[in-house]
Amino acid sequence: MNAPLYKYGMFGDEMSLLIAFVIGIGFGFFLERAGFGSARKLVSQFYLDDMAVFKVMFSAIVTAMLGVTYLGWMGVLDVDLVYLVPTYLGPQILGGLLLGVGFVVGGYCPGTSVAALSTGRVDGMAYALGIFAGTIVYGESYTAIKDFVNAGARGALTLPEAFNLPWGVVVFAVVLVAVGGFYGATLIERRVGGAK
Amino acid sequence: MSEYEPSPGDSPYMNPYLAGVGLGLVLLAAFVLMGRGLGASGAFSSTVAWLMSVFAPAHAQASEYYQGYLSDGTHPLKAWLVFEVLGVMAGALFSGLLAGRVRLSVEKGPRVSNGPRLAAAFTGGMLMAIGAHLARGCTSGQALSGGALLNAGSWAFMLMVFVGGYATAYFMRWQWR
Amino acid sequence: MLELLTTRNNPMIDPSLHVWGWEIPVYLFLGGWVAGAMVLSGWLMHRDPGTERPSVTRLLPWVGLVLISLGMVALFLDLEHKLYVWRMYATFQPTSPMSWGGWILIGVYPVLLLAGIAGLPPALADAWAPLGTLARRLRQSDARRALVLANITFGVGLGIYTGILLSSLGARPLWASGVLGPLFLVSGLSTGAAFAHMIARDPDEQSALLRSDNLFLLTELALIALFLIGLATSGVAQAQAASLLLGGPYTAAFWVLVVGLGIVLPLAIQSLMATRRIGHTLVAPMLVMGGGLALRFVVVAAGQASFWP
Repeated sequence: MNAPLYKYGMFGDEMSLLIAFVIGIGFGFFLERAGFGSARKLVSQFYLDDMAVFKVMFSAIVTAMLGVTYLGWMGVLDVDLVYLVPTYLGPQILGGLLLGVGFVVGGYCPGTSVAALSTGRVDGMAYALGIFAGTIVYGESYTAIKDFVNAGARGALTLPEAFNLPWGVVVFAVVLVAVGGFYGATLIERRVGGAK
Repeated sequence: MSEYEPSPGDSPYMNPYLAGVGLGLVLLAAFVLMGRGLGASGAFSSTVAWLMSVFAPAHAQASEYYQGYLSDGTHPLKAWLVFEVLGVMAGALFSGLLAGRVRLSVEKGPRVSNGPRLAAAFTGGMLMAIGAHLARGCTSGQALSGGALLNAGSWAFMLMVFVGGYATAYFMRWQWR
Repeated sequence: MLELLTTRNNPMIDPSLHVWGWEIPVYLFLGGWVAGAMVLSGWLMHRDPGTERPSVTRLLPWVGLVLISLGMVALFLDLEHKLYVWRMYATFQPTSPMSWGGWILIGVYPVLLLAGIAGLPPALADAWAPLGTLARRLRQSDARRALVLANITFGVGLGIYTGILLSSLGARPLWASGVLGPLFLVSGLSTGAAFAHMIARDPDEQSALLRSDNLFLLTELALIALFLIGLATSGVAQAQAASLLLGGPYTAAFWVLVVGLGIVLPLAIQSLMATRRIGHTLVAPMLVMGGGLALRFVVVAAGQASFWP
């Protein structure tokens, strides 16, 4: 088997849209299961009494990372063909900050707002309208900020490349960070939640 | 329209590690099948570009930004992320119905009324949209998908999301606590 | 002047690809919905002769009148020669589904109107004495039986006609399928049942409508399979037409909007509703109705993209 299947021409664009729908169902299902259709559950991450955002996100990252790594080593998945969003350090740092602020102000991120509005959360709908408005603001000011948006281009850059470390070492480090994080998060939850 | 209060019939949320592994497997499936990760904000951009092309075609034609979504000849809504987000809606709805969590309501803390909460949600969405464009992805497209691929920019981005969130949390206590 | 260089592929011989916009799909959708509403209110009238209970049969005929009128407006907007619409009714062509359809539409109005009057609450009907007399007369058992029969007959006729209208146009291989008539009828029934159980107040009636809707959705899935298998195994042109929905440019819209969101998801939700595992929700019937509309749009658009080689 040669994966990614789409990149090896196993199916066409129309079929890829069907796959998008099915994958989206799984994505939405687990987001909602985890409680991420609820803004209060999500922002609790930032008030330290419920760290589910960190736990879910890092279990997902570790699972997918280990999967990609093993499938790559087995020669099933050609990791080089998996699309890497190019790194633009400056815009990504500012964008990340804005997203973090928007997360606590709005209560969601784009994906979780879709889960929220699908389950009837009116604030999720307001948030989605805000995304539309923000997209228009960005689209209209694109020519003015284009230089900044494209500044600091590093191309597709992975952590192992950036730090000149073997892939497996970085994977191991991420797993350690995640497991340590899970332990720490549970301790913090107990302390903050218990003191309430 | 009322604040959401869990009622006795509601299922509790799934164990976070289990949900995370499930999410990770979905993400892995996207890598294996498509050679790309998950996302969300791109679907909003496609929709905005399509709306522009319908209601202000001349303007959409002239804008370099909208042309990025319109110029490939296919219908702008026939995009991978648009169909993925349709799936997210279906999956979340189904999960929510199973757990008895679907109802018209507003998520907020005890000290705030609906109006300010909705205004804040709208503002947050705006900030997020601009941030996601600068970062070339949102929590799903960058942090989750890029994180699993050990993408350097994604990890920098993810760190900054948490920094931004924790820095703002104190000033948003009125909304949540 | 248009010079004809080849005998095909010019708008004077093969009509241009997309001459039908939103009007025809909307008209077919509304027509199917009304057909479903008529069949179901006929069935409910037959099932439950007492008129005292809160019943959707009181409301459905009036909704049907509004919907069929909106459908006629959409159809009229699509007509090239709006002034000549009366000519349709100056003749009857027994072999033309269009002619049949025109006359069925004429028959639908009085049936809906009489069914609506029969269900009027007495306080309202008696405001004008002749109306009250008529309503009482219509509720007597012989008139009732006739109304049941007329509702079901005209409902089925209207539903099949919305599908046959397309399959009678031989120019498009995607529509050259005998399954299209039943498919559109059943889709109309599921749309009608979805709307009916969405507005039903009486729990027993709601549950009956919900179960019937699930049955219609299952049947619709089977008919879609038959439709595609039938086309794919017919001739070259039909197989090519089927491939528009099986890998071609209408695949994603068809399988996601019509089958996924319009049939499978609401069927899953409504099955949980029918077994009382989850409460009644408006989302599922709305998805069914959206799926019915999407089916018309996809079949009309894809049909116009199919051609005889």
